[in-house]
Amino acid sequence: MRRIYAFFISLQFFLILSLSHVQAQDTILFPLKIKVGFEVSGPVIYLIEKNNLIAEGFISADINEKYAAVLNAGYADYNYSQYNYEYLTNGIFIRAGVDINLLQPKKSQGKYWVGTGFRYGVSHFSSEVPVFGQDTYYGTIKSSIAPRTDWVHFLEFSPGVRAEVFKNLSIGWTVSLKMLIYSTTSKDLRPIYVPGFGNSGKLLSAGMSYFISFNIPYKKIRVITRKEEPEEPEDTGNTGTSGNRQQTSGIRQ
Amino acid sequence: MRKHFPRNLCIILSALFLILYSCTTGSCYEETDALVKASFYNYKTQKLQAPDSVTIYGLNMENSKLYNKAKGVQPALFPLNAATLSSKFIIKINGKTDTIEFRYNSYPHLVSKECGISFYHNLDTDRIFTRHAIINIYIGNRNISTVNEENIRIFY
Repeated sequence: MRRIYAFFISLQFFLILSLSHVQAQDTILFPLKIKVGFEVSGPVIYLIEKNNLIAEGFISADINEKYAAVLNAGYADYNYSQYNYEYLTNGIFIRAGVDINLLQPKKSQGKYWVGTGFRYGVSHFSSEVPVFGQDTYYGTIKSSIAPRTDWVHFLEFSPGVRAEVFKNLSIGWTVSLKMLIYSTTSKDLRPIYVPGFGNSGKLLSAGMSYFISFNIPYKKIRVITRKEEPEEPEDTGNTGTSGNRQQTSGIRQ
Repeated sequence: MRKHFPRNLCIILSALFLILYSCTTGSCYEETDALVKASFYNYKTQKLQAPDSVTIYGLNMENSKLYNKAKGVQPALFPLNAATLSSKFIIKINGKTDTIEFRYNSYPHLVSKECGISFYHNLDTDRIFTRHAIINIYIGNRNISTVNEENIRIFY
């Protein structure tokens, strides 16, 4: 019986110690948000040039103060003409991945984001060359290439920044670096533009995106911003200077 | 001040990138014509040797000479007609006239976004030529593209 009492007393003592340990840490309430947004530059360029439409939207949900799951989707209708050919393509794309916030929660406060994103993207599109011509020794030869549909898979690395400029309204940009990993396109007729991937069917593609997003806070979590510093070990005198040793030995005496 | 750092940073960097990021129209600096590249070889020495005089033009295209009594031609470039399955050329080497016929199939190839689309060709293995100055023709690379590499060897 005495042992049982001793056990419960020890348990209480342990719990009190644990609680006091938690209370010694600094914490903040961090708002997790669902963000719904769209890319701005595509529609703006379309309104100015009335030529190529690239529309893209995204939805993301904060998993915690650092990570957010993201899904981008869009549509592109791209036309290009050069002195000897015309190229048309249109298709859809989807990218899924995570955003990683590199800011400390105390600085970020759920409003600011400086970090990077990683995505896996898939694009399905149709392309054709209605007319192309070549000036040759025999005169100008004209031809065309029939429409064909293709798939492209790619990886995206997208560092950037985002800031909440008004309550629950953020703006930001990302630099996107994309690497093609699989393509059904022909070796001789690489696509000039791949929706969601960007210019040219080369292995690497770079671009920039400007986003506006509406943020919906859905949960608040308590985030530890500063952990309790461990107690400094007592100086045993073994690592001190000879003077300290003398002092320690003096105390012992 | 420290509190507002991320917002200021975002605005400044955004403005900077907006200024720096602009669309530019590219120019074409690549070769766009896929030509048969034929090197001249001395049959006796089996070494590269340009003829003293070379004249080349397409059959029935005497007014559009590709080379006219040219010296030091190495290699000679033959343009193929993408609208047909064969092209014939008259070739005069050191005053002796021969005819060469190339048979092939053609297909479009995107050189680049800036340079557009060009026709590439695949040569047949048939070697059709007369033998006044030419002794033999060797086909080394049947793929006729814009890449600067030898396709055939003309031994004379």
